[in-house]
Amino acid sequence: MKTSNYLACPECDLLVRCGSAVVGEKEHCPRCHYLLHRPRAQSVVRTFALSLTGLCLLLPANLLPIVGIKILGSSHDGTLLSGVVTLFNEGMWGVAILVLLSSILFPMLSILLSLLISGHLYFNRPNRYLSEWLRTLQHIDEWAMLEVYLLGIIVACVKLASMAELKFGLGLTAFVLLLLVTVTLASNFDSTLFWQQIERLNTDEKK
Amino acid sequence: MKRNSTALTQGLVRCHDCGKLDKTHVVLCTRCGNPLHARLPYSFQRTLALLLSSFALYIPANLFPIMTVTKLNVGEPHTILGGIIALIHSDMLPIAMLVLVASILVPLLKLLGLSLLLLCVHFRWQVNAKRWTQMYRVISFVGRWSMLDIFMISILVSLVNLGSVAQVIAGSAATAFGAVVVLTMFAAKSFDPRLIWDVQNE
Repeated sequence: MKTSNYLACPECDLLVRCGSAVVGEKEHCPRCHYLLHRPRAQSVVRTFALSLTGLCLLLPANLLPIVGIKILGSSHDGTLLSGVVTLFNEGMWGVAILVLLSSILFPMLSILLSLLISGHLYFNRPNRYLSEWLRTLQHIDEWAMLEVYLLGIIVACVKLASMAELKFGLGLTAFVLLLLVTVTLASNFDSTLFWQQIERLNTDEKK
Repeated sequence: MKRNSTALTQGLVRCHDCGKLDKTHVVLCTRCGNPLHARLPYSFQRTLALLLSSFALYIPANLFPIMTVTKLNVGEPHTILGGIIALIHSDMLPIAMLVLVASILVPLLKLLGLSLLLLCVHFRWQVNAKRWTQMYRVISFVGRWSMLDIFMISILVSLVNLGSVAQVIAGSAATAFGAVVVLTMFAAKSFDPRLIWDVQNE
């Protein structure tokens, strides 16, 4: 029995013969229905292009004002970072770090790592850190929570709407675009293919 | 090879990170160099420890004020539940339901669900393993949405920061609630659903 012909389901450990799923099909585990593999068309190129787009949107989304309010003549703008800074100044450093990581640093890191990995694969450049990067990317994926942040913005605006005048800034547009890019990035990312390509590149280099 | 044979019974190990299959005696994955384990190491103990800590922190998270809203020098502390009730009183039922689900129901169901999964593994309950694996999948998917309250506070404190006119200050429950969310996410990550399948006698 050749191990490369089989794969094991990560959630129920069932051995499954490597699928012949083509683009557009989904391969599920026959026992627990876990989504084993979902091949994507042009996964490497699309990841490369989308992470470049994300890179351009990172700075405006983080630095431009997202929402501003006006109460009794005095107005105030809020950016992604200003919430973190205010929380830190109030002594809530635990919450500040949590927000900093999940809304700024991890999304940023995840785009940078996608760009690095897909760039190396696209230009066929072997690198001994490739598997390290992809592993890190898989682990931080769950902690980048831009879509939850957008919901937080909506709830906060609803709460404020009755007591203040709100104005939405250019940062919000950049933020929503960044969110769309990261969602498309995640759905076009074919980790099985990426691991295979990394293995191929690194063995070619050794020869 | 008989039907329904698992990697473990065939003497194989799946790498947690890259998914490559290797023989059980291999120590480091031959593709990505990660240490290989048949199951997540100390999965039960780690999940139990993280779960007990989050149960303990769930109490201050709900009792203490999560933020204090000051209007014209009159401060008014809000707990998580108080914030939801305030939303209902101002006729914003859909948003109130959203916050109720994200910050009360999801953490509570997550804590109970993970406890059930641990009990199932410990007492070797004979259950419909497919259903229970699906429950695990739901638990690990919904966890991140509890961060909604934390993000909302982060936006409110930076926007409503006008000195004596109006100010929102985060309360001590925010730290506890954030810790509950993070700990339950770690607990779900450290639980290995293959344990459910291992305890079933087929």
